[in-house]
Amino acid sequence: MLRTTLILFIAVWAVFVVVPVALLAVWSFLEMKDYSFSPGLSTAAYAAVFDSGRYEVTLRTLRIAGLVTAIELGLALPFALWLAKAVRSSLLKAMVLALLTVPFFVSLASRTIVWRSVLSRSGLVNTALLHFGIIEQPIDWLLFSEFSVHLGLLAPSFPTMVLPIFLSISLIDDELIEAARDLGAPPAKVLGDVILPLALPGIIAGLIFTFVPLLGETVVPQLLGGGRVSMLGASITSLLQVLNYPVAAALSTLVLGILAALFLALRLIGGGSIAAVFEGMKR
Amino acid sequence: MSTSGTIGRRAEAMPPEVRPVRVRAGQMERRLGRLAALGGFGMIALTYAPMLWLGIMSVSADPLGGMPGPFTLEWYDRLFTDQRWVGPMLASMGCGAVVGLACAASGLLVARTLPQLRARGALLVAFLAPLFIPGVLLGAGLFLYLRVFLGLRLGWWSVFLAHFVWAYPFALLALLVTTTRFDARLNDAAADLGAGPWRRFVDVEFPLIMPGVVSAALFGFLLSFNELARTILLRGTATTLPLFEWAQATSHSSNVPLIFALATLVLLASLVLIGVSFWLLFGREAGK
Repeated sequence: MLRTTLILFIAVWAVFVVVPVALLAVWSFLEMKDYSFSPGLSTAAYAAVFDSGRYEVTLRTLRIAGLVTAIELGLALPFALWLAKAVRSSLLKAMVLALLTVPFFVSLASRTIVWRSVLSRSGLVNTALLHFGIIEQPIDWLLFSEFSVHLGLLAPSFPTMVLPIFLSISLIDDELIEAARDLGAPPAKVLGDVILPLALPGIIAGLIFTFVPLLGETVVPQLLGGGRVSMLGASITSLLQVLNYPVAAALSTLVLGILAALFLALRLIGGGSIAAVFEGMKR
Repeated sequence: MSTSGTIGRRAEAMPPEVRPVRVRAGQMERRLGRLAALGGFGMIALTYAPMLWLGIMSVSADPLGGMPGPFTLEWYDRLFTDQRWVGPMLASMGCGAVVGLACAASGLLVARTLPQLRARGALLVAFLAPLFIPGVLLGAGLFLYLRVFLGLRLGWWSVFLAHFVWAYPFALLALLVTTTRFDARLNDAAADLGAGPWRRFVDVEFPLIMPGVVSAALFGFLLSFNELARTILLRGTATTLPLFEWAQATSHSSNVPLIFALATLVLLASLVLIGVSFWLLFGREAGK
């Protein structure tokens, strides 16, 4: 009976998760008629995606997500290495891991709206700078700008990069590193020839977990972009609200394509699969 | 990075001429390590400082102003008079409770049986997929599928569905932590002593994996309670607490200060629940 229930649940999961996501690609090639899909095939939606205005949104989203991901990688890789191999105290390790996990369960909107009182014209930063006479006029570009969107995205995207990299580095046998040192490899060579290749599955998993959700992020750009920094996630939502379904589906498919390409890269590099990263988690 | 493995220890016993060169963690490496730690803790500070600031500004006279103070409980007081948030809050709590229970029950089913299946790798990826598919994509996919393709009327049931899909991977991971730690031989021993499948589950297995079950339910509740990106698309006419906060926050209305107080209360309650889950999952184990 347990088996039957399990198979039933897998079927439900397939119908309500796998199928809706897979069908996004189908919707993007359909034509619209009377606010519904009609059987005709068309690539008009993709032409619309690369239309002047929306093309800009796509490029901006890729740029912002790419820059934030690069910053996260630059900070997360050394931090994960330090946490996995240099920290001896298991209590400190557990506490840092807990601090990195808690934000998943806290409302992003609440954490984000606070930045308004920090960055606005009368906010903390401007008040402080004015007080110390560093500036004469409040700085305008702190809030409702690409700057504030980048800043707001930084902290929420950090754990998704650190945790997979940490997992893959902590699975590396210390003796491998020790052996490389004994054979006279300088630290840079140990890092480049031993640690990085073995940590690669975790690094790519981190890139997927960080970059792809950033492509679809809606809360931060809307609260801190103030309508001036429009990104793909908000575009998809507003396209659905104005009943332009094929273009919304085409934009979603574009993001899915990037996700698939990253997965393919993970396979090609041969570092195993996402599942392998999670297998390590169980230990 | 000065791990002293067995190779290092063996080397001490060897005559000096065959002793391998031991590169210790030099000053340079230690400095780089400190730099790495600084970067990571900087990001952690960037995560928690806004939460702290939210609390401080919620007791300030002008939450959107630059400086905290003069301190007042006015906004909390206003929450008692302006009670429009109570309805969405109760609705969110109900929805969260249903999502939490559903996550715990179905997560338990999968976590107990998944490790024994041959297709576990592929199934695990399918179940964890909502972790790395952007929320708005899953929301758009479900919206187009349920509303446009199947022509169904959206409402609480579709909100529940979206929340469940989002929370399920977290619940499953919490349960896998405990089910993979469970020693299956205990079940065999109980069977030898004449216990049937049901008794084995109730008296042997469930008490041992209970922390995972409770954490899965709490994770499900919290993730549903705070969810926004998917809810916007699948709400129909339903209103959750995050939707209410969102509407107030984006409307530039005079109610924004109230949102600070409300968000602080929700944040504090969330942190307590997360603390309980973590303690159940990992803390008790370490304490033993």
